[in-house]
Amino acid sequence: MSFVPKTQPFSGKINAVTLGTGDKAIVIGGQNVLPFYTFDAPIENAPKVGVEITDTANEWTAPGLREFYAGCTTMADYAKKAETMEGADFLCLHFESADPNGANRSVEECVADAKSVAEAVSMPIVIMGCKNLEKDGELFSKIAEALQGKNILVMSARAEDYKTVGASVVLAYGQKVGAETADDINLAKQLNIMLKGLNIPAESVVMNVGTAAVGYGYEYVASTLDRIRDAALKQADADLQMPIVAPVSADTWGVKESTASEEDEPAWGCAEERAIHMEVSTAAANLTGGADAVIMRHPAAVATIKKFINELV
Amino acid sequence: MKVTFQIQGGTPVEIECNAGDNLLELARRANVAIDAPCSGNGSCGKCRVQLLSGELESIPSRHITPEEYEAGWRLSCSCKVVGDCTVLVPDIASAYQSRMKTADLSSPEEVAIFQETQKQLKESGIVFENPFLSLELTMEEPTLEDTMPDNERLTRAIQEQLEVDTVEIPFCVMEKLASTLRREQFHVRVKGEKQGNTFRCMEITGAQDSVIAGCAIDIGTTTVTMVLVDLATGKILAKGSSGNGQIRYGADVINRIIQQAKPGGRKSLQDAIIKETLTPIIANLCRSAGISARSILRLSVGANTTMNHLFVGVDAEPVRMEPYIPSFFSWEGLKAGDLKLPANPLAPVIIAPNIGSYVGGDITAGTLATGLWDSDEMSLFIDLGTNGEIVFGNRDFMMSCACSAGPAFEGGDISCGMRATDGAIEACVLDKDTMELTLTIVGDAEQKPVGICGSGIIDIISELFRCGIINAKGLFVREGSRVQRDEHGMGRFVLATPEESETGREISINEVDIDNFIRAKGAIFSAIHTLLEAVDMDSSMIDRVYVAGGIGSGINMKNSVNIGMLPDVELEKFRYIGNSSLSGAYAMVMSDAAVEKCTQLATNMTYLELSTHPGYMDNFVAACFLPHTDARMFPNSRQEV
Repeated sequence: MSFVPKTQPFSGKINAVTLGTGDKAIVIGGQNVLPFYTFDAPIENAPKVGVEITDTANEWTAPGLREFYAGCTTMADYAKKAETMEGADFLCLHFESADPNGANRSVEECVADAKSVAEAVSMPIVIMGCKNLEKDGELFSKIAEALQGKNILVMSARAEDYKTVGASVVLAYGQKVGAETADDINLAKQLNIMLKGLNIPAESVVMNVGTAAVGYGYEYVASTLDRIRDAALKQADADLQMPIVAPVSADTWGVKESTASEEDEPAWGCAEERAIHMEVSTAAANLTGGADAVIMRHPAAVATIKKFINELV
Repeated sequence: MKVTFQIQGGTPVEIECNAGDNLLELARRANVAIDAPCSGNGSCGKCRVQLLSGELESIPSRHITPEEYEAGWRLSCSCKVVGDCTVLVPDIASAYQSRMKTADLSSPEEVAIFQETQKQLKESGIVFENPFLSLELTMEEPTLEDTMPDNERLTRAIQEQLEVDTVEIPFCVMEKLASTLRREQFHVRVKGEKQGNTFRCMEITGAQDSVIAGCAIDIGTTTVTMVLVDLATGKILAKGSSGNGQIRYGADVINRIIQQAKPGGRKSLQDAIIKETLTPIIANLCRSAGISARSILRLSVGANTTMNHLFVGVDAEPVRMEPYIPSFFSWEGLKAGDLKLPANPLAPVIIAPNIGSYVGGDITAGTLATGLWDSDEMSLFIDLGTNGEIVFGNRDFMMSCACSAGPAFEGGDISCGMRATDGAIEACVLDKDTMELTLTIVGDAEQKPVGICGSGIIDIISELFRCGIINAKGLFVREGSRVQRDEHGMGRFVLATPEESETGREISINEVDIDNFIRAKGAIFSAIHTLLEAVDMDSSMIDRVYVAGGIGSGINMKNSVNIGMLPDVELEKFRYIGNSSLSGAYAMVMSDAAVEKCTQLATNMTYLELSTHPGYMDNFVAACFLPHTDARMFPNSRQEV
């Protein structure tokens, strides 16, 4: 008698959220199966990889990154180049220098950048802010307005500013929003409920449930992802069925494994390779844990993760 | 130099001091009562005083507006003395102590609670008997022929009446035996205790003074309540309450334990409870009942573990330190004379046994009073206080746990919070469309609001949520004339304008208050949830919920469920039982069988330590939401928007 594997059916399903428009539009989520469990059910939409471009990209030092983006000066240059990166599905514009405690770039400058990128590329666009609540609030609203019709995703509606961000980004300008919480299933659910309370449709929401580079408390992320997926699929908890987007590179490029120079840590080997390894390991961990999209930076890391996804789906 | 405390509605108090002395410390030394729930950290803002003359060096505080500072208002904990000065201690600052209250026993509800307890315990087979007797004795007067000494004469008279072999006459009776017998012409009253074949005399008086009394005391961290009962009939002779005088050493048990560990601290804390708090109430009650304190032949105390330690004056430090082992769970053989309590010095003091460091005798006494130990019904017993304690079980098993809810239920940690005394808003109804308020205020009909007590806060938050004025996180999401915002954008809901309030200050509830309360209710609900999970049960299996605590004259169960504080079960399953610790203490003072039962309950209860329970923190975060992150647990919670 031949072996017939038992499949594991789930009553719940992850929402499918469309980003971008036209040919390059992507759908994340949509499956009712655990990550890469293709033996239970097909994965409706393979996980997606986004390429992060910061407005401080000119300061990047890794030789591979400099080589890839050689000749790029404006954010639009970078974005156009990133679109050609092997494995890229969408672009993420990260406005780090808007931080009032840092370079404090004006909202107008950032909006102008975002507009020029949107005109230059056709891939879906994701926006990340500077983590300053007040500045982000204004920035997100202005960018969402300027890019109306592009169906962008604005990351970071937090418990503190979900009302202003949710109302402007989704209700006023019809874009998508990312609900950001810090490694706690209950807080993630609470924020989704509050967004629902603003009459924001669940199909306009994705989650960033907290991130960390591997080795930096990643076990909290792992357990949070695990439990959220469990609740979404097994218990069919509609308040946790949003797809998950994990901004990996923003964390991994800041830890000492990625930043320490070869002079300071001769035993650790090539700095750029370390940074790539950190990105790949963190992204792979997020994807196997339940993330439906990851945001990464290095072309080598993006290509590796894309291969990883293609092999498993 | 010298500081004068002008007390509103009292006589001024002067104290000599040195430059640099802290004003709150000075007030404590001078026995001036200033409410300082945070024990002088500058965080609660309750210790406000007004500088009338002289100068004080003080640190600015967010609790004092610039206009108030200009008018001389200061936080006494943040003031240093720099020269002679006079400060006014407002009524509200000392209110917790001055509001000693002797209850009017003419109201049937007051008495009914105790009758109900007694009835219920009797049905459960607890015999209401105690060994105390009041004997009227008439003896032959001695003559030149009848030369029997006084003590033998008394012994024989007692033996004749009681058929006992031995009669013990202690020194305190012996020393006044001769004079009493002769003054009363050998027609006297002897009060004492009969144990088997022995009668122990405790008091000798005139024949008319027949009452033998017991005193049941509930020592809460915040409030002390007691009843004086007739040991022969069980009748309540008087009832009284007041704030716990230890409050000036900190609002919660941890602060008190830290204080008692300082040199001389144990003595000051014991004095604060016995001399300053219990003695005046007992004196008052005896006066109103028309009996002498020496007629009090037995006392029983229901108190949490820390209060028990501080009451008897033993070191409470181990309660706070890992592995949290108190000095005693139960203790027999304590006499009123040991503690210098105003009662018969030989009167036994029964302490309801503790179960753990944070589940004390108040809970064993309360459990005794609920009768859940004699029922097949699955009962949940919740005592809402600074510490929330929970017992779940029936006649076959009992589980208990404790959680730290903070002082929010008693008005602490809330900007306009207060205890349930005159002027407290204890209930509230809100109109969804107009946001118009209907307030119920403690006190007589003309009483204007002073602040909000625990039951009022439950109502207000539930109503704000129901009307969609706040969201599930407790943030204001609707605008209206009563919704105001400060310069940082923090919202508040105005319950009474300065003109409408008693104090001339606005009474409102702000987002920080609501957040504090949501944490308190989250702590309670997650403790209930964790305890039920520990025995693999859920709220659908609860047959009865007993809610106890002094957070108001009663709490609105529907509103408590609406905000997710109590489990969503049918409203008729709830029973508010008031001060269950006192009811239990009452049973114990009246009945030996009740004492025995209570000791047995304490040994039969399984204690669940939540701080080491892996699921508790998760349940807590899930419960810090209105009504709960898992709304399926609260199908009856409604938001009408």
